[in-house]
Amino acid sequence: MPFLELDVLNNENKAILGIDLGTTNSLVAVWREGRPVVLKPERWNDGRIPSVLHFPAEGGVIVGRNARALAADAPERTLFSVKRLMGRGVADLSQDLAGIPFPASESEHGLVQLEIQGKRYTPQELSARILHHAWEVAGAVLGELAPRRVVITVPAYFDDGQRQATRDAARLAGLEVMRIVNEPTAASLAYGLDRREAGTIAVYDFGGGTLDVSILTIEEGVFRVLSTAGDTHLGGDDIDRGLVALAVEELRGEIDHEVLRDPAFLQGVRLSAERCKIELTTKPESDLHVVAPHWNVSWRRTISREELEKRIAPLLERTLDSCRRALADAGLERGQLDEVVLVGGSTRIPAVRRLVEEFFGRVPNTSLDPDEVVALGAAVQGHVLAGGTREMLLLDVTPLSLGVETMGGAVSKIILRNSPVPTQVTEGYTTYAANQTGIDFNIVQGERELAKDCRSLGRFELKGIPPMPAGLARIAVRFSLDADGILTVTAKEESTGKDASIEVQPMHGLTDDQVESMLRESFQHAREDFDLSRLANLRVEIGTMERAIEANLEDAGLDVETIEEIRDALAEARSAARTGDVPRVQKARDELERASLPLAAALMDAVAKRALTGRTLDEV
Amino acid sequence: MNHDHAPGRSCPKCWAELKTPLFCESCHELLAPTDRPSPFDALGLSTAYPVNRMELRKRLLQLSRRLHPDFHGSASQETRARAERNTAELNAAFELLDDDCRRADWLVRSLGGPGQDEERQMPAAFLSEVLEWSETIEEARNAAPGSPERAALGPLETSLREQRARTMESISDSLTPLPHTNAPELVEIRRSLNAVRYLDRALGEIAELRLSEASTSR
Repeated sequence: MPFLELDVLNNENKAILGIDLGTTNSLVAVWREGRPVVLKPERWNDGRIPSVLHFPAEGGVIVGRNARALAADAPERTLFSVKRLMGRGVADLSQDLAGIPFPASESEHGLVQLEIQGKRYTPQELSARILHHAWEVAGAVLGELAPRRVVITVPAYFDDGQRQATRDAARLAGLEVMRIVNEPTAASLAYGLDRREAGTIAVYDFGGGTLDVSILTIEEGVFRVLSTAGDTHLGGDDIDRGLVALAVEELRGEIDHEVLRDPAFLQGVRLSAERCKIELTTKPESDLHVVAPHWNVSWRRTISREELEKRIAPLLERTLDSCRRALADAGLERGQLDEVVLVGGSTRIPAVRRLVEEFFGRVPNTSLDPDEVVALGAAVQGHVLAGGTREMLLLDVTPLSLGVETMGGAVSKIILRNSPVPTQVTEGYTTYAANQTGIDFNIVQGERELAKDCRSLGRFELKGIPPMPAGLARIAVRFSLDADGILTVTAKEESTGKDASIEVQPMHGLTDDQVESMLRESFQHAREDFDLSRLANLRVEIGTMERAIEANLEDAGLDVETIEEIRDALAEARSAARTGDVPRVQKARDELERASLPLAAALMDAVAKRALTGRTLDEV
Repeated sequence: MNHDHAPGRSCPKCWAELKTPLFCESCHELLAPTDRPSPFDALGLSTAYPVNRMELRKRLLQLSRRLHPDFHGSASQETRARAERNTAELNAAFELLDDDCRRADWLVRSLGGPGQDEERQMPAAFLSEVLEWSETIEEARNAAPGSPERAALGPLETSLREQRARTMESISDSLTPLPHTNAPELVEIRRSLNAVRYLDRALGEIAELRLSEASTSR
């Protein structure tokens, strides 16, 4: 039995990272000294890594905080909310694509691709960049190569295609996915860590892009999900979009129509909308400020919290549909819950808290940071999978029914929603023509009665049936959903005992061959790509420091020599940044950071009398 | 080979007596049964209609702690596949036994009784009742929220629930103790189970209607 497997001899890091790959932000956590901790660099206030990609004109990709910092100035080169594109086709995404400043197309396999600087990227490749960056952040915090084995969380309501896309993204990032865990379930692990008594809890997880509601019981350390419901296209992004619509409505008479349709302009508006929304969680009113110098637009409008709440009320009401559905599927009444916990950044909105409290008739538990709790739970699950404990166990369910399209276009359900996973169901099929050697399946996920209203996971072609008269072949097809909620299909012809082969053409996914070739390609370009991205990041960091220095250097009360030293370092950094010489730029950046430490300290002192040494300039 | 124990009842590795064909509690071996175990066997419970829900849940949690793939993450490919398969088997068995209807259905079939599609006869009086409910539900569906047609669903739901409880009680009585294999009363039990299917379909439709009403009424 594989109990605790500590590889002491090889001194190998057996830990498993937990990664919350979010629509807006991603976080990494790991189990350390008896509890899960979010990994955050010392100079950050929190562990949030923006799920943002920036593509500078000079080439390369900037990911995370640096990319987020550049977004306002160059929205046309910045990409947000990649998660919404995962495992989807262009037809599903018209609304999402309208705000993306890169042209989208569909591959021959039905996969969305964005064309960025002459290269086509799939959402998997883009998410891989975010995952890789998160992994690098983890390594920087740990001070060593971070573990490549990871647990990644996904919205509970993600379908098979979206889960596969997430798994493929991790592979492309060079990570080994030990488990895909549902976000609300992960959150419950973090919340339930110290819970001793048995109980039934509801998790209301309202994030940047998705909503999940899960009901589960905790008993003797076993977290058993009873039901889950949700909407993979309902989140903070949609709230921002409500404010964007307001701005566009009111700007209609004032500026050119063409501008109002420009994705880069819209993305800029969305950023302002997001800022306004966040401010309204703590203030009664805030300004929605739209500036687009390129279009000669500068527009300001005061929004009250009340106005925002009125605008998003229908959206928030929709979240209750999932609450009702989850309760009904669990066979429970609202009053039978022992606890309701809130997860996800959107639950910071006061109106959301009020709504949930009113609906469930109890004050929700918000004792853990709603942004961190999913990553913490992923780290707990990583600890379990690494063999660190047998005290805890997650038993999850599949959120959607799985079925096969029948002759008339109806769906024959094979696995019902909220069935515990892993699950395996074997169905018998036969041929309807003599010497028929293949059968075609359209496998769908969803609750609707007609296959066309459900989501097709792709066509599965059963091949190699031995030739025999119609109706004689007995083909047992096994549909297995593993603990990650991912489907595999195998088949056997029972009268001959022959394994029939199954060919899978995923609807909006990558085949294994495609993942392999992408991996090969990325290795070929890895060096060049890495240098470009490294360079781009260094330039951003130098630019940030430069602005802070220019703004404060003269008035910080530093002695002449220190000012001189900072000026010299800045001059060298500027000229280094213009070259493509990575080691030189790196050295110049590090020197600038070192030289400007006194300035950072002086500013800190000026702001508050507390000495916050060790903070660098870009944090001040 | 030593055959002191009945085949399938003892661990092929350590010969200890097995409580479940999925796992040996003595040597902790994940087993690979050749035939699908009965749901009762899978959970190590004796075959009978009444189940103690608390015990059933306890067995699920106990066995999950042994079988679940999470605890075999670093094991060989084969062991992991076994963990997936056996946990799937355990899950299916639990879901079946936890549901009174499905448990009764399984027992009727295992005793040689008719399957749900093999015994389609229903009393004419019952079928005309079914038509009546369907009509009430259909009228409610087409009526506005708050209308008398919608209000009629309340009493209908109560009466359907009562009828379901009575039917399940009679099924429980007929299955306790278990009838003989191929006993004639299995046909009667099947008819009752089919009646429950009709009731559940109607109750399900009412529940769906309520959910959509709640979401649009705001």
